[in-house]
Amino acid sequence: MFSYADEAFAFVENLDRLATPAAILDAMETSLSRFGFDSFIVAGLPGPGERVERVVLLKKWPAGWFEIYINRDYIRHDPIIRRCRNAVQPFEWADAPFDPKAEPRSLEVMNRATDFGMKRGFCLPIHGINGYEACISMSGTDLDLTSRTKPALHLMSMYAFERIRSHLNPAPIPGLKRLTGREREMLAWAAAGKSAADTGDIVGITERTVTAHIVSACQKLEATNKTQAVARALQYRLISI
Amino acid sequence: MTLIHAVTTHNKSLYEDQLAQYFRLRHDVFVSERGWEQLRRPDGVERDEYDNLNAVYLLALDGERVVGGQRLYPTALPHMMSEVFPGLATRGVPRAASILECTRYFVVKERRTGRTDCRLLAAMQEYCLEAGISAVTAVVEMWWLPRWQQVGFKVRPLGLPTLIENEPCMAALIEVSQRSLDQVRQVAGLRGSSLHRENAAATHYERVPHVAA
Repeated sequence: MFSYADEAFAFVENLDRLATPAAILDAMETSLSRFGFDSFIVAGLPGPGERVERVVLLKKWPAGWFEIYINRDYIRHDPIIRRCRNAVQPFEWADAPFDPKAEPRSLEVMNRATDFGMKRGFCLPIHGINGYEACISMSGTDLDLTSRTKPALHLMSMYAFERIRSHLNPAPIPGLKRLTGREREMLAWAAAGKSAADTGDIVGITERTVTAHIVSACQKLEATNKTQAVARALQYRLISI
Repeated sequence: MTLIHAVTTHNKSLYEDQLAQYFRLRHDVFVSERGWEQLRRPDGVERDEYDNLNAVYLLALDGERVVGGQRLYPTALPHMMSEVFPGLATRGVPRAASILECTRYFVVKERRTGRTDCRLLAAMQEYCLEAGISAVTAVVEMWWLPRWQQVGFKVRPLGLPTLIENEPCMAALIEVSQRSLDQVRQVAGLRGSSLHRENAAATHYERVPHVAA
């Protein structure tokens, strides 16, 4: 007999052996399908003005739906996202309230999702330290979503999230010194192809000062030159492009 | 600056004030705020049978003021997971001399956005590393899990989440390792130790044979 608990524990233990985001995606696909889920997304919650594409960590959504979701700016109207920001505990999509009359765009999101076979779903909010917010949201047409299966899904989701987060946002090597805001800024301009002289002009400081910041960043990142420092800063997500 | 003090049966006389604050804060946090009504006491002091000479408290002190704390208790003795929540650990309640249970963890409300949590978590790893402890068990609300993981703790689930007072909670085992200690320090930008041991020599005297002469 299929045991939800065994499935969840096996999934959690297997995660440690998965080396790539693609392998994690596969494992989630296989395990979640046993509960009737065929689509899911793992994403940070975007701040005001932040683009959804940038916060998505992993997704398996029906073809075409993500494009519509982006183009129609559904993130600003999605009742699931709204509830997720304030909820600590997992909830079913049906329990994310909105007023269909006053909020026609919210109704539109849910109706279009239904068109793509995503009528019922389960959302698991994640609140980390330092105000970090994220969620895993999953859906399918024939769900085994009951008080018996939810705990297993809850556990699997929390571990899957962590595995993905640590893959895509690797922790800096312990012992590395923290960069200052200015050092990160200089590396970000370098990553954008700007020379020290360009950067000085843009930021309004001398080329000499820019170079001093870069040298300091190189030391902290234990990089032999600017190129390696930029590569490491990107790898550790200290800067982004 | 906030430091985490290890308070044991050997140095507790140095912390009478702080321990009194600590037990009142436990009532404030767990009864008044969290609503664990079965712990309510008319004197506003929350203590239970595990507050005995086997307990070690890691108290977050800002000067004389207690701003957070946690209790560590030997799993080799009857403890909360074995006596109160065995049903949560369906994969077995870990019990060993090298495993402690962490209970009554809290940070006072106004310090919950700062680094006090990370200091307490770092101090837990540090205290255990020094004491030769290999793992810590705990029963916690599920929202703890991503927080632990984010600071680099390796956490093994001991059972599926179960509703307690309408909140999904889980029994878990946290590995103690230098790597986790390094990572929580890194995440919080903590330089060096947050753990302070007053009169640490007291535990050493215990090992001196007292029957001599």
